[in-house]
Amino acid sequence: MDLRFTPAETAFRAQIRAWVAEHLPAALSHKVHLGLHLTREDQQGWARILGRQGWLGWGWPEAFGGPGWNAVQRHLFEEELALAGAPRVVPFGPVMVAPVIMAFGTPEQQRRFLPGIASGDVWWSQGYSEPGAGSDLASLKCKAERRGDYYAVNGQKTWTTLGQYGDWIFCLVRTSTEGKPQTGISFLLIDMKSPGVSVRPITLLDGSREVNEVWFDNVEVPADQLIGEENQGWTYAKHLLSHERTNIADVNRSKRELERLKRIAKAEGLWDGPHADGRFRDQVALLEVDIVALEMMVLRVLTAQNSGKQSLDVAGLLKIRGSEIQQRASELMMLAAGPCALPRIDDAMAAGWQGEHVGAAHCAPLAATYFNLRKTTIYGGSNEVQRNIVAQTVLGS
Amino acid sequence: MDFDFTDDQTALREAVQRWVQKAFPFERRHRLARAGGATREVWRELAELGLTGLQVDADHGGLGLGAVEAMLVMEELGRGLVNAPYAAAALMTPMLLAGSQPSALQAAWLPRIADGSALVVPALQEAGARYREDVCATVATAGATGWTLVGRKSLVPAGDEADACLVPARLGPQAEAAIGLFLVERAQYGLRAYPTQDGARAAEITFAGAAAQCLLPDAGAAIAQANDIGIAAACAEAVGAMEALLQLTVEYMNTRQQFGKPIGSFQALRHRIADVKMQLELARSMSYFATLQLGEPAAQRRYALSQAKLQLGQSMRFVGQQCIQLHGGIGMTDEYAASHYFKRLTMLELTHGDSLHHLGQVSRQMQDTAGVFA
Repeated sequence: MDLRFTPAETAFRAQIRAWVAEHLPAALSHKVHLGLHLTREDQQGWARILGRQGWLGWGWPEAFGGPGWNAVQRHLFEEELALAGAPRVVPFGPVMVAPVIMAFGTPEQQRRFLPGIASGDVWWSQGYSEPGAGSDLASLKCKAERRGDYYAVNGQKTWTTLGQYGDWIFCLVRTSTEGKPQTGISFLLIDMKSPGVSVRPITLLDGSREVNEVWFDNVEVPADQLIGEENQGWTYAKHLLSHERTNIADVNRSKRELERLKRIAKAEGLWDGPHADGRFRDQVALLEVDIVALEMMVLRVLTAQNSGKQSLDVAGLLKIRGSEIQQRASELMMLAAGPCALPRIDDAMAAGWQGEHVGAAHCAPLAATYFNLRKTTIYGGSNEVQRNIVAQTVLGS
Repeated sequence: MDFDFTDDQTALREAVQRWVQKAFPFERRHRLARAGGATREVWRELAELGLTGLQVDADHGGLGLGAVEAMLVMEELGRGLVNAPYAAAALMTPMLLAGSQPSALQAAWLPRIADGSALVVPALQEAGARYREDVCATVATAGATGWTLVGRKSLVPAGDEADACLVPARLGPQAEAAIGLFLVERAQYGLRAYPTQDGARAAEITFAGAAAQCLLPDAGAAIAQANDIGIAAACAEAVGAMEALLQLTVEYMNTRQQFGKPIGSFQALRHRIADVKMQLELARSMSYFATLQLGEPAAQRRYALSQAKLQLGQSMRFVGQQCIQLHGGIGMTDEYAASHYFKRLTMLELTHGDSLHHLGQVSRQMQDTAGVFA
C-alpha cells in the first residue's frame, strides 16, 4: 500500500499541468471558476483545443488514436483540467458513444465517426430518456422500423442535454415488441439534420436551456448506422454505462468547488474576522471530509483497475456520493451568499456584464447553480435506482 | 499509488482470521464479557501468534512491522470482536517505549511485550479532560531516589491486568510545566477496576507518591503520535466490525420472513442496507487514509487523522444504529452478536475523540485547498 504517486505519475501530472497552463484560455477558466454561463463556442472551442492535442478522447486506446493512458493517468489528466478551471468536456461523443463504436461498430463505422469525435468538430447528443421511460428506461417506445436499406424512426426523446447544438444523436430505439422489453432495443446513430427531426429546448427552473425534447417524424436512417445487431442495443448501452466508473463521482470538480466555497465564505466574512460563523465553518469541514473520503474511494477503484487485483463494484456508490456532494457544495455557496443569492439577473451570470450587482459579483450565479444541480441525483440513473442496484449487490438478490 | 496488500500482509491477515475462527468464537467473547471483561489470557494467545511484538523492533524480539500490518490485524480483531487491549498495549505502548530516552527501559520491557509476558498500557486519560491532550493534573516530582507521581488517571484499558502503565505527568506544580511521560509499575498505584459497555475492562488509577521512571521529559509530541496511532487502530477495528455486522444483517434480511417474504425484499430496507454499504466503503477508504498518513509530519498527520476519525465516527454510529434497526427485536438482545458489535462500535467512536471533537479539529485546521493531495 502506498498513497504516493510514483515519480513517473508525478512527472505525468506536471506535463499535463504545464500543457493546460499554456492552452486553457484565461477567459474560459475565469468563467468556470466563477460559475458563469458557458456558450456553445466556449465548450466546442475547448473540445477542439483538446482534439488538436489528441486528448479529447483521453480514455481511448492507442489503436483508435487515443493516448492509451491507464486509469491513474486518466484520473490525473481529469484532475488537472478540473482544478485549472477547464470546462467540463461534453461527454456524449468522446466518452459515451465512441467506446460503443469502438467495441461494437464496424471498421467502416469507426472510420466514419471516430475522427469527428476525436477532433471535437461533430457534436453528439444522447437519445435515451422518453416521456414515459425515465428510471424504467427499457420501457422506451421510440420506434424504428426496417424498410429495405433504412429504418423509419418515429417517436420522441426527452431530457436531451445540449441537443440544440447536436449534429448527431445516438439513440436507443424499439425494433421489436417480442419478449422482454430489454431484448427489443437497438442502438442507432442518427444525423440530426435529417428531415423529420425537430428539437425544442426545455426551460429549466434556473432559466437555463440545457435540455431538449427531440421528435422523430418518419426520419429515414440508413441501415448502416445501426450499431452491432438489431435488438442488441440494451447490451451495448450497458457496456457504455460500465465504461465510465470513476468519472461519475466528479470528485475533481467538487474539489475545485470546495475551494470556491471557501473563497466565497471568506469574502462574505463567514470564515474569520468579527462575524465569523463557526457553525458554517463546521458545515464546510463536513463537506471537506466527505470529499476526501470520496476521493480515497475513487483512488481505490482506479488502482484496482490498474492492478487488476481487487474487484470493487462501487460505481453506484460513487454516483450517489458524488452527486450528493455536488449538491451540498452548491447549497453551501448559496447559503454563504445569503440574501444576495436571491436576485435573478440573468445577464449577471454571463462574463463581462457591466451592470451593478446586488452584493458581490460572485453571488450572482449561486442560486441558479444550486437549482440546476438538483439534476445530479436524478440523471444517470436516479440515486434511488442506484440504491436498488447497490442493495442487489449487497443482498445478492 | 497502490492499495494492494503484499503476499506477506495477506498471510498475516489470514493467520489472524484463522485464530479468530478457531479460538475466538462469539460464545467466548460473550463468556469473557459476562465474567467481567478480563483478557490477559487473550493477550497471551495473541503473543503466541507473534502479534504482541508486531511493532516491536527485531532487536527487542519483535517483528518490526509497520502501520499497514497493524491495520490488517486491527480489522481482523474488529471482525472477530476480540476483547483485548491490543491497540493500546501492542501499538501505542511500543511506540512510546521505543522513543524513550533511557534505552535500559526499552531493553527491560519491549522483549517482554513481544513475548507476551508483560502487558503495559498507556494511561493518557484524566477525568474531565474529555479528548484534550493538554489537560494533565498529575504531577511528577524529582527526588533523591528518583521521580514520584501524585494524581489520577481514568479509563485505563485493562488497568487491573497490566504490569505497568505509561503516565503523562507535569514536571512540577505549575500549570504550564512541561508534560513528561513516566513508566509506573503495578505495585506503585492504587486502582479501581470496572467493566466497560462493550464487555472489556478499564480502571481508575491513583498515584500517591508512586515511584516512576521517566521515559521522556517533554512528551507532548509522543502522546499526540500515540493518540494518532490509536485513531488509526480504532478506524481499522471499526472497519472489520462494520463489515461483520453488515454481513450478519444481510444474512438476517435474506432469511427473516414477514408478510410472506424475506424482509430483504422490501425497498425501504434495501435502501437502508445500501446506505450502510456506502458508510462502510467510505469508512474503509478513510481507514486506509489514516494508516497511510501515520508516517507524515505531525501537522499533516494530525489533520488527516482527525478527518479520518470524523468520517469513521459518523460511519460507526450510522452502521451500528441502522443494523440494529434492520434486525428488529433480535438486534436488541444480549445473546445475539449484532448488539455486541453495536456496543463496540459505539465505544470506538468515543475513543480518541468523538465525531464532534474531530469536527472541531478539522474545522479549525482547514486550508484553502482540500483533498488527498491538497
